[in-house]
Amino acid sequence: MDKAIIVDRLVKNFEVTEKEPGITGAIKSLFSPKKKAVHALRSISFTITPGELVGFIGPNGAGKTTTLKTLSGLLYPTSGFVEVLEHDPWEKRSEFLKQISLVMGQKNQLWWDLPAIETFELNRAIYEIPKKEYEKNLTELVDLLGTGKLLTTPVRKLSLGQRMRMELTASLLHRPKVLFLDEPTIGLDLVAQAKVRDFIYEYNREYGATILLTSHNMDDLINLARRVIVIDEGKILFDGALEELVNKFAKEKIINVTLSGEDDIKKIESIGKIKKMAFPQVTLSVPRAATAVAASELLQNFPVEDLTIEEVPIEEIIRKVFRGALRK
Amino acid sequence: MNKYWQIFKISFQQEFAYKVNFIMWRVRNVFQIFLIFFLWDSIFSDPGRVVFGYDRAKILTYVFGVLIVRALVLSARAVDVSADVAKGDLSNYLLKPISYFKYWFTRDISSKALNISFAIGEFTLLFLILKPPFFFQLDPLILIAFLASIVIAIFIYFNLLFMVSAIPFWAPELGWGGHFLVTIIMIEAFSGALFPINILPASIQPIVLATPFPYLIYIPIQVYLGNVTGIALFRTLFLGVSWCVALWLAMNNIWQRGIRVYESIGR
Repeated sequence: MDKAIIVDRLVKNFEVTEKEPGITGAIKSLFSPKKKAVHALRSISFTITPGELVGFIGPNGAGKTTTLKTLSGLLYPTSGFVEVLEHDPWEKRSEFLKQISLVMGQKNQLWWDLPAIETFELNRAIYEIPKKEYEKNLTELVDLLGTGKLLTTPVRKLSLGQRMRMELTASLLHRPKVLFLDEPTIGLDLVAQAKVRDFIYEYNREYGATILLTSHNMDDLINLARRVIVIDEGKILFDGALEELVNKFAKEKIINVTLSGEDDIKKIESIGKIKKMAFPQVTLSVPRAATAVAASELLQNFPVEDLTIEEVPIEEIIRKVFRGALRK
Repeated sequence: MNKYWQIFKISFQQEFAYKVNFIMWRVRNVFQIFLIFFLWDSIFSDPGRVVFGYDRAKILTYVFGVLIVRALVLSARAVDVSADVAKGDLSNYLLKPISYFKYWFTRDISSKALNISFAIGEFTLLFLILKPPFFFQLDPLILIAFLASIVIAIFIYFNLLFMVSAIPFWAPELGWGGHFLVTIIMIEAFSGALFPINILPASIQPIVLATPFPYLIYIPIQVYLGNVTGIALFRTLFLGVSWCVALWLAMNNIWQRGIRVYESIGR
C-alpha cells in the first residue's frame, strides 16, 4: 500500500433550508421552504502516504470537517472517488472501522453519566481488542495523557480539558492506523493543549500512524504539521510543505534596520511600509521583488548600523488563511 | 456477542445513574395503574354490570395485564434515536464496528429487563392492595403463544420506533413531533394500552385491527386471556410475524436512504 488516503475530484453538496428571522419567517418557511444548495467541496484531490501528518487549514466553513467526515465514511460523496486504507469508507466495513478514528473536539462519545473507564471497556468489546493489548494500550495512553486519577470519575464531572484527553484515549484504544482529528485542542488551556499536541506527535512517530488534523490553533500547525493543505470555499488552494506556504503566499519581505543616528525618518516611508518604529530600530515591509533595491537604498541614504532581511513569519500567512485572504 | 453483552451491562448502569428520576418514573407508572383501575372499577361498581362485553373481573384482568405487557413492550430506550439523528450523535456509532440497530435493540432489552423486574414488584404490591379478580392462565400452550406474541410485539415496536426516528434525517425539527404523534397518540389509542380495542364501535374495530398497533398490547393480552385459540391463534401470530417482516424491510429501506442524506451536523 503506497497511499493511505486517496481523494480524487471529490464533490459534496448539501441542501439547506433557509429561514428568515422571527415568527413570520418560521411560518413562511413552513409553507414554502426555501432550499439552497451548499457546495461544501468542489472537486478536491490529494493523496497521503502512510505515516504522514498533514494539517488541514482554512477559514470556518471552508470544507475541512466535511472532508474528514467523508474520509471516515459518515458522509456520502456527491461525486468523486475516496479510498482510505484500500477501503471505500462509505461501506463501513468492520476491518476498515477498526483501523480508523475520528476525534471531533466538540463531540462526545463518552457515556456522560458514567466514569470514562466504562466507555473504554465498552470500546474494548466493540473493537474486539484482546485483553492484554487493551491493558497495555490503556496504561500507555493514561501515562502519556496523565489521566490516571480521573478514570473512575463520572464524565460529567470532568473539565473540558480532562474530557478531551479521555475522548482521545477512547478513540485510540484500538490503535487506529489512520487518525482524523478535528480541532483536537479546541477550548483547552495552554498546558492541556501542549499535552495533547505532544501526544499527537508521539503517536505519529511511534506507531507510524497517518494523521490528518484540522486546527485553528497556530501552535498545533507549526509544531505538528510538516505538510499543509489549504482549503477555502471547497477548493484546495495549496498543498505542500509548511515552509513553502510562505514562498507561495507572502508577497512581501521584512527588512529590519538599526540606525546609528537620527535622520529624517519620514523619508524611510518612501522605501517601504513601516510596520514598527522604535528608534533606533525600524521594521519595514517591502514587495518581494523590490527587496534588494530597497536594501541598497537604505544603505546608501541612511546611517545604517545593521540590516537584516527576513521572510514574513509563518503565523502571519496562516492568519491570512484563516481570514480567507488568500482567495484569488 | 461479547460486544452486545457489554452494551447490555453499561446500559443497565446508565439507567441507575439517575436513581431518583427512575424511582419517580416508576411511581408515575403505579399512579397511572391506580387511575385506570379506579376508572374501570367505578364503571363496574355494580358487580352484575356488563359493558362492551366486559364484566368487572375481565376488565380488571385486562388492566393488570396491561401493566406487565407495557413493561415488556413499550419500555424502550430507542426513543432517543431521533435525538441522535437530529443532533449528529449518530456519528459516534457509524464510526464504530458495530450494528446500530443491534446496539439499540440491546439497550432496549436491558431497559426491558430492568422494567419487568420492577413491574413484577409493582404488580404484586398493587395486587395485594387492590385485590382485583385476576385470571391466571395455566395452559402451557397458551402461555407459549403469549410469549411469542410478546416477542412479536417487541419487534414491531422496535421497528416502529426506528421508522419514526428516521424523520430527522429529512426534517431535524420534527423529531419530537413524530414521536408525539406516533409513539404517544397512535400507540396509546390503538394499541389497547388505555382500553381494549373491542369496546370500539364495530365499524372502527376492523380498521384498527388492520394496523400494527393492536399487536403491541391488545393482541398479547387477548392471547393470554385465551380469547384467541385454534386456527385464529395461528392466523394472528402469522399476521404478527408478517408485520414484523414488513416493518423491518420498510425500516431498513428508510434508514439506508436516511444515512445517505445524513449530514452529521454539530461541527
